[in-house]
Amino acid sequence: MFKSMLEAFLNLFRPIRTLKYPAEEIVLPSGYRGLIEYGIDACIFCDKCEKVCPPGAILFYQNEDGTKTYRYNPWLCIYCGECVRACPKPEEALWQSETKQLSALKEEGANEGWFVWEEACKQSREAYATAKKSAKIQNKSEE
Amino acid sequence: MKKTIQIPLGSQHISLLEPIRFKFECENEKIIGVDADVGFVHRGVELACTRSFEFKQVGYVVARVCGLCAITHSLSYTLAVEKLLGYVANDRIKYLRMLMVELDRIHSHMLCLAHTAENAGFEALFMQIMGDRELIMDVQEAISGNRVQFDYISIGGVNRDLTPELVAMIHKNLGVLTSKIDALIGLFDNNWSLSLKYKGVGVLRLEDAYTYNALGPLARAAGLATDVRAETSDFPYEDIGYKMILESSGDIHARNFLRLREIVNSITMCQNIVNNLPVGEIQEKAKGKPNGEAVVRVEAPRGELFYLVRGSGQNMLDRVRIKTPTFSAIPAMIEVFKGAEYADAPAILASFDPCMSCTAK
Repeated sequence: MFKSMLEAFLNLFRPIRTLKYPAEEIVLPSGYRGLIEYGIDACIFCDKCEKVCPPGAILFYQNEDGTKTYRYNPWLCIYCGECVRACPKPEEALWQSETKQLSALKEEGANEGWFVWEEACKQSREAYATAKKSAKIQNKSEE
Repeated sequence: MKKTIQIPLGSQHISLLEPIRFKFECENEKIIGVDADVGFVHRGVELACTRSFEFKQVGYVVARVCGLCAITHSLSYTLAVEKLLGYVANDRIKYLRMLMVELDRIHSHMLCLAHTAENAGFEALFMQIMGDRELIMDVQEAISGNRVQFDYISIGGVNRDLTPELVAMIHKNLGVLTSKIDALIGLFDNNWSLSLKYKGVGVLRLEDAYTYNALGPLARAAGLATDVRAETSDFPYEDIGYKMILESSGDIHARNFLRLREIVNSITMCQNIVNNLPVGEIQEKAKGKPNGEAVVRVEAPRGELFYLVRGSGQNMLDRVRIKTPTFSAIPAMIEVFKGAEYADAPAILASFDPCMSCTAK
């Protein structure tokens, strides 16, 4: 008991344990798993990242001219880095940064906006597939 | 006239971390009958693993079953799938996986100790242990890149390697922690008010531990020598200085003390792993699709974690069955409550270290 009292007395002169968070920034360790970033110039649109992503946070929209548009949901992402490991051109087309994502605001539509986009991507692919099919049939009949 | 009264504990209670409900049948202050209900946080993880996710993604899904033993869940699932794929990991991968599991054990045991202290009315000790626990959380964050959801283990290896700076940090933090744990051992052993709350309270006898199939620290505190680390050969635990730790009295004090001694053993193991890390690749190709059935047991901080994975050569699995340590320990827990005072129930409950989100998944 006397030992505990001595400890309690000595604690008066020891440095404080807690962090002064809002006043002082918290230093994240290097190699912190942050947002996934994308470079459109190096991307070959192989869709590998989309297929391996566990929560489905990366989606490609199929444009009518054959190109694809990348879109990423930073609030759905679990930052596991599977997409970067699956990417044939890591560091150029897809890489993991150390930026931390802030919470979503209502205007950003983290859920609703993403559901709309998911549906749009699905429909764009189906439409593209049918258009391609019908074009093939037309080509054959012309021959 | 009825002589007993029913007092519920939970599903929402100030001493509980997670929703669990006990209905105590009390005679005056003494508990004579217990009824437990655990399914308050059911999320359908098992079904999601077979319906919504492919087998390569399931490792990240099962890691979200539990926040404390995330690494043990993903490790068990990965081992099961690797068994089905016929892949055997090299020594470096095994050592890195063991390192994370042992770090997980240290911080999970410290959380349990902190909550037992809090539920016995010693809040300052709770703060102190949770503060010391940050040393391990920092190491895990630096190794895996995230504080709680490590996502460190994937099929065919681990996702990140140890750098020299990380090794230095592990040595530094573990060294600081060793002295803190030594001080805690002295405190738990000698502090008078803690011994009033712990010694001789919530006793699980050895024969009851056998009969009710206790496991993990609960069983080892009663003297029952059961530890998956010693029983299976998935990991070379003997090489890194694993010791089976046993206590004999089976009360809360024995469980706390067992956890403290296991932390000391885990610190030694982590230091040995970092010092004797074999050379090799950290990520290898595990090709194929799971076909057949595999069963894996891993020693989670709370006891034996059991995984059954069945696949039929498809991307989607047929069945993933998770049996968590707390679920298996419920019969033993109910037995411990019988005969105890109602006022001791929160401290006894915290000393089991129950994990409800694991159990209900």
